[in-house]
Amino acid sequence: MSGAIKKSTGLTGLAVAANPHHTLGILYSKILRTLTKMPGDAAYRKYTEKIVTERNKILSSTKDVGAVEKAIGCGQVEELIVQAENELILARKMLGWKPWEPLIKPIPAKQWDWPPAQIKEPKI
Amino acid sequence: MASLLRTISTGLRSALVNGAARTQIVRLSSTEAAKTEETKPTVRKHDVAVREQLSDFGRYVAECLPKYVQKVQLTAGDELEVLICPDGVVPVLQFLKDHHNSQFANLVDIAGMDVPSRQYRFEIIYNILSLRYNSRIRVKTYTDELTPVDSAFEVFKAANWYEREIWDMYGVFFANHPDLRRILTDYGFEGHPQRRDFPLSGYVELRYDDEKKRVVCEPLELAQEFRKFDLSAPWEQFPNFRNANPATEEVPTKKDEKK
Amino acid sequence: MAGREAVRKTVQQVRPILSIDRDEARKRVLNLYKAWYRQIPYIVMDYDIPMSVEQCREKLREEFMKHSNVSDIRVIDMLVIKGQMELKESVEIWKQKGHIMRYWKETVEPKPTDFLSKFLNNQN
Repeated sequence: MSGAIKKSTGLTGLAVAANPHHTLGILYSKILRTLTKMPGDAAYRKYTEKIVTERNKILSSTKDVGAVEKAIGCGQVEELIVQAENELILARKMLGWKPWEPLIKPIPAKQWDWPPAQIKEPKI
Repeated sequence: MASLLRTISTGLRSALVNGAARTQIVRLSSTEAAKTEETKPTVRKHDVAVREQLSDFGRYVAECLPKYVQKVQLTAGDELEVLICPDGVVPVLQFLKDHHNSQFANLVDIAGMDVPSRQYRFEIIYNILSLRYNSRIRVKTYTDELTPVDSAFEVFKAANWYEREIWDMYGVFFANHPDLRRILTDYGFEGHPQRRDFPLSGYVELRYDDEKKRVVCEPLELAQEFRKFDLSAPWEQFPNFRNANPATEEVPTKKDEKK
Repeated sequence: MAGREAVRKTVQQVRPILSIDRDEARKRVLNLYKAWYRQIPYIVMDYDIPMSVEQCREKLREEFMKHSNVSDIRVIDMLVIKGQMELKESVEIWKQKGHIMRYWKETVEPKPTDFLSKFLNNQN
């Protein structure tokens, strides 16, 4: 931003963040803390940890907001905050859902067969 | 999606590449793919790079949510479909909406489908769109006449009316829907018109009655010939091409490899 | 063999719609009946239909008794849900007079039953 004060994000309903580094840092650490409650081999935990630590590293490497936005490459810093908020809510919900468990219901016979003309057996 | 998929497939690429360079890489690889010889000039060609990205993303979803994802497939060459069990509607949609790597924040449509020969005859199809990664994905699940499906309203507010449409047209009950009632049919209408066993002509006809001074409803009388409906795939127009092109290609997931 | 098959099918695990057991389903049906019963005077008044309250209540009873042979809890629940929606449509005056009068089917001619009238009606 080169010192100039940012006036608007240009996106409806998204206000300019006052202290993006602080907000993002807190959110990322909260996500990471939530993720530690998941089992270590859960793929969701693995991938999310990777993304978040990567972004966190970029965030702590520089004080320049513009450089952070460019390095992460996923929109303005306000959007990054929204994404982190969503991820945090998702991670907390995931703790309840436990999606890393094995498949709860096997595929019912013929369920995903296509075209249906090839389903010969009558309905049970 | 581009950024995500490449990070998964390569795993080593630095995240410091800027957006412009990224699109260039993808574009280069796609032009290379188009150079292969043309065998069927009338058939639409699929972008190999896009296909690879989509199947990578499908594997990623299946790996993150092994509890709910039953199958991942590509339809029509380059459309990704995730087939899930009905209990996973809310978790899967929430994951696709809120995860950093997917961000499918728009619910484009919810569709229904009826295949009477299956045990679970109805399919509920969620079309979602990620503006961030310019990508679309389809989530499919199944149910029958009496099994309720969880409403996606808590994830996507747009689901409200779409689910009312499905309820009205197919009679699938959505649990936890805030306002489930008819949306397309007339008050007092009985039956669900999009079911395959609902006759094209309907069961009743309406007319204005001069004596009563109002619209009256009477059962429809039709000769038996017009009531016949053939359930053995009336939509199959070209039986010769039944096995010509596989409609769907399954994307192998890690789960299958373990078995 | 067929009997065992039937038993196996009846005990299969299904997800309930609203009610968990028969008593709860029964309670819901009675509640719906009572709600309709109490709303009928207002419906008669609001829609200005040429029917008395007694006739309407008779019709209400008839409509409920139509499904007296239903024993599946989930089917009962589904009917209760539809009945509730219908009640709401009636009470909120979303319907019109013609919709309410549809219950009586005044203009529908009864189907011929004996041979001669069937013959004259060109039916078989």
